[in-house]
Amino acid sequence: MPPLAQYVFNGIVTGGILALPAVAFSLLWRLLRFPNFAVSTYLTVGAYAALVLNASAHAPLELAWLGALAATGAVALAVDRIAFRPMRDRRPFSLAIASIGVAFVLENIVRFAWGNDFRAYDVPVTRAASVAGLRIGRDQLLILGAAVVLMVLAQAFLLRTRLGIAMRATADNPLLAAVKGVPTDRVIAVATFGGGALAGGAGVFLGLDASIDPLMGGGLIISVFAAAILGGIGSAPGALAGAMIVGVVEEAGTLLVPPTYKSAIGFVIILAVLLVRPSGLAGSRS
Amino acid sequence: MIAYLTAILTLVGVRALLTLGLNVQWGLTGLVNLGVVAFFAVGAYTSALLAVGGVSLLLAWPAGVALAAAAGAALAVVALRLREDYLAIVTLGFAEVLRLFLLNEAWLTRGANGVTGIPRPLHAWFTGRYDLFYLILVLAAVGLAYAALERVRRSPFGRVLRAIREDEVVAAVAGKPVFRFKVQAFAIGAGVAGLAGVLFAHYLAYVEPNMFLPQESLYVWLALILGGSGNNRGALLGSLVFLGLLEGSRFAKDVIPFLTGVRLAAAQQILVGVVLVAMMIRRPEGLLPENPGSE
Repeated sequence: MPPLAQYVFNGIVTGGILALPAVAFSLLWRLLRFPNFAVSTYLTVGAYAALVLNASAHAPLELAWLGALAATGAVALAVDRIAFRPMRDRRPFSLAIASIGVAFVLENIVRFAWGNDFRAYDVPVTRAASVAGLRIGRDQLLILGAAVVLMVLAQAFLLRTRLGIAMRATADNPLLAAVKGVPTDRVIAVATFGGGALAGGAGVFLGLDASIDPLMGGGLIISVFAAAILGGIGSAPGALAGAMIVGVVEEAGTLLVPPTYKSAIGFVIILAVLLVRPSGLAGSRS
Repeated sequence: MIAYLTAILTLVGVRALLTLGLNVQWGLTGLVNLGVVAFFAVGAYTSALLAVGGVSLLLAWPAGVALAAAAGAALAVVALRLREDYLAIVTLGFAEVLRLFLLNEAWLTRGANGVTGIPRPLHAWFTGRYDLFYLILVLAAVGLAYAALERVRRSPFGRVLRAIREDEVVAAVAGKPVFRFKVQAFAIGAGVAGLAGVLFAHYLAYVEPNMFLPQESLYVWLALILGGSGNNRGALLGSLVFLGLLEGSRFAKDVIPFLTGVRLAAAQQILVGVVLVAMMIRRPEGLLPENPGSE
């Protein structure tokens, strides 16, 4: 049996992947004021977009990854235009339900086109290196590195750019931000595209780390929420920390409970946060 | 043909109960329950396991309803203390975890094999005509639930629920214990879903975890949104229209070539999702609008 450290390492890689949709979900929730259940399905969209480019069009996976970012961002933007924008002034829960419907449609479009089979990218098989008794794959390091870089970029965007600051202002107080001349529609469009792209990129990582199938993203829905709630809704660094913790606890938890209960661990984390520290790790206001 | 119609109508009845239950939660009170199927499953499994273990149906059936209502109350208490957004996630998570539980805890639930040999009430009395008897039983349950929920809707209690849905701050200012009303409404809805589960389990005489997939919850949502939420008549109509949609699209495979197996199922699900979102955008009041004026 591999040592605990192996589970922790695998969990950190999983956490890196989870962090991207968790940040997207968290920021979109704060900005648009409804939990968008379609975000985790954007992982599936991204994974299959890259599969088309990589396995069918024979593009290298790095290029396919960039294509997946753009494609998933575009899908997220289209979804927002078609489904969410006409409902902006409704009760937030109506939007949450519509987002479940959207997730369902996207997942089944993928299933219609590619079936239920598990698929994999066309990449050379690399051997995992053995460092101090740990098996560490080249892909795992690449995924972790890329995820951290993306998170840093997202945070820098939010803190340093005009548009990022406008985004945070709109999230805090949409009316005040609009009065002050913040272009709300543009802010929402950029956040939607960016959130979709982050989730789509994570989907390619997940497809590389595990496998590709229509349920891959939707099946992560509870873990993504657990990460976002643990981190505190609306906080990007919080979502990163939350994702790392959820990833590690889910992997290491399989030492105690059967692996089939992985998503149950995420659910227990959600309940624990709600009962013990509802504002999450980073949040203070709600 | 009669047998087919009887079977379909029995399932419509079960679905109508689920939709009526969700209508109390979402339609009247504005509470999101994305795990309708979980309360359905709690009712079905509780009653099935008790009955198979030799407990009288007179006890097993109420136990199924009561445990579903209790599960609903417990989840609502945990999630609603904070923000209502969390109720959506907690109910969704609960449904998924419950399904895993049903699959993996074979010592209690018999796992993937499911529970077989669930006794059917008064089976010896109605040999030959049993399905018709059961249909009448289900329709009677729907009728009773409808009448009871109509009373709830028109009662002072129901008016408070609708006030909470429209503006809970106003309801709170008017001195209503909003949290308690919400938990009660959620528990009632979960109990009605539990009743649907009980009737379902003893109709099929067999339950297994894959009958309780997440999409079942979405189907109930579609039925409610189609018919018109806030409105018990709408919930009934929606269940009927929904079944027509699902059964009708099954015949699509005779018309459209290449549409078989996985693709047919996927196309059906796409249709369900598209109709749900389209209805929410275009006609959120449903086929039968609530019309609060008709008290």
